[in-house]
Amino acid sequence: MNNSLKSSVPTDREVILGILNNSEDTLNKLYKAYYAMVLQFILNNNGDEDDAKDVYQEGIIILYNKIKAGNFELSSKLKTYIYSVCRRIWLKKLSLNSKKTGSITDYEDVFAVEEDVENHEEKDASFVKMQSALDHLGEPCKTIIQDFYIHNLSMQDICEKFGYTNTDNAKTQKYKCLQRLKKIFFQP
Amino acid sequence: MRNDLELDAIIEDYLLGKLNAQEMEAFEQLRLSDATVDHKVVSHKFFLASMDTFAEQLRLKEQLSQIHTEIDVEGLAATLRPHPSRVVQLWRKHKSAIAVAASFVVLSLVSIYSIQHSTQQAERYRQLSNKVNNAIKTQNSLIRNIKHNNTTSDKPNNQNSFGGTGFAISTNGYILTNLHIINGADSLYVQNSKGESFKVKSVYTDPQNDIAILKISDKHFSNLSSIPYTIKRNTSNIGEIVYTLGYPKDDAVLGEGYVSSKNGFVGDTTQYQVAISVNPGNSGGPVLDNNGNLVGIISGKPDQTEGAAFAIKSKYILEAMRAIPQDSLGANKLSTNKKSLLSGLKRTKQIEKIQDYVFMIKAY
Repeated sequence: MNNSLKSSVPTDREVILGILNNSEDTLNKLYKAYYAMVLQFILNNNGDEDDAKDVYQEGIIILYNKIKAGNFELSSKLKTYIYSVCRRIWLKKLSLNSKKTGSITDYEDVFAVEEDVENHEEKDASFVKMQSALDHLGEPCKTIIQDFYIHNLSMQDICEKFGYTNTDNAKTQKYKCLQRLKKIFFQP
Repeated sequence: MRNDLELDAIIEDYLLGKLNAQEMEAFEQLRLSDATVDHKVVSHKFFLASMDTFAEQLRLKEQLSQIHTEIDVEGLAATLRPHPSRVVQLWRKHKSAIAVAASFVVLSLVSIYSIQHSTQQAERYRQLSNKVNNAIKTQNSLIRNIKHNNTTSDKPNNQNSFGGTGFAISTNGYILTNLHIINGADSLYVQNSKGESFKVKSVYTDPQNDIAILKISDKHFSNLSSIPYTIKRNTSNIGEIVYTLGYPKDDAVLGEGYVSSKNGFVGDTTQYQVAISVNPGNSGGPVLDNNGNLVGIISGKPDQTEGAAFAIKSKYILEAMRAIPQDSLGANKLSTNKKSLLSGLKRTKQIEKIQDYVFMIKAY
């Protein structure tokens, strides 16, 4: 397992081009290439496997969004970037939980990524807001909205799935749900 | 309420570009005239964008979680978890630094080894002290052997003795030679061109430059007349004609050649290389230029190259002389500033003058 992980480490260029072209294969390779590095860091700094998963996925998402935004300039190796981002996220989490952050055991070079992490936190806040708005919406509204906006189902499909007599009824139901959702979402 | 829902539907269709041209125009008109509608459009646009990013992130997270299930987390965690042993922890933490240090050590060891090895292979330095009494020896050695047995009949036959050359650096009996000739010897004798032997003792040794200074301690020794040669202070140039007088056999032998390199054995800057054929016994012999200036001391030759020898540079003679008390050398010592008595003489006359100052060194 370990060996196959190492042998398939993609080059930095491959990763960037792959992500820009929405290549699932590249994302897969990227994810597997550096997971062990972050896992090691978290495990050796008061974390467990689940922490590692959360932190690492957040790190990958930050990288992904940055590349997608098109303003990604590679000033270091991707490995260093991912490590630095994950390290920053984990340190924040540790200090939030007021756990010991005194001596951090490092395994790689680190460079400043505070800005990227903070940008991401802003985005993440709106993500969390939407998530909680959806959670407050209740069924069947939540599923209808999710099916339509996230899973891109057609109104026809939704109509059949929920057993509405015609699509107009489904549409009306959807807009009712949407109105409520917007109300919750835009609540200060 | 009903109207609101219809308005929402139209707004969404408008934003998603689902309206036809006519409806589009009508709606835009409405948007311009009614600020509330316009506000609703803007807020819905923002909402849709938020929903889009939300959807995208959600899909990405799902994708990542999917990939995550393919990884053997347990196995990886087991190997990466902090190890109970401090040594292993240290090793993991400083793996790269340790690797760099280790490779550096290996590299330097290899290079040291290869340097030694190549020097060994290239050439070996052969010191030119004459080892006498060796069973496998040429005729010359045998003759010496017999003579030694005659003169020192009380000594055991198989005792090793060494011979070399030395030269006077003062009129009162100080003689300079190579350290390797006299190293480890119990007793030392010098013999002049007339065949007279004097007992000497070593007063100064310089292992760095392979120089030794001996002092004749024999009461039969009478002071020499003034030293005919002087020391050359500057280094000699390549091509300068030089010659040496030495005792590879019982009679003095002249060897003539030129300075062939400014450095000696594998770039040794304390020596010259000279193109003079020398043999065991030449060690310690003076190297003089045409004007009778002392250029160096023969000290060895390369193992594989014929017709070349190494000579210690004359400035180390000066250094060695400074190391012994100046009074003891007397007034008529070897110096740099006097004019050489040999200057302008023919080679035969020069040899005639210096042969009384060049001695055979015998070490027992």
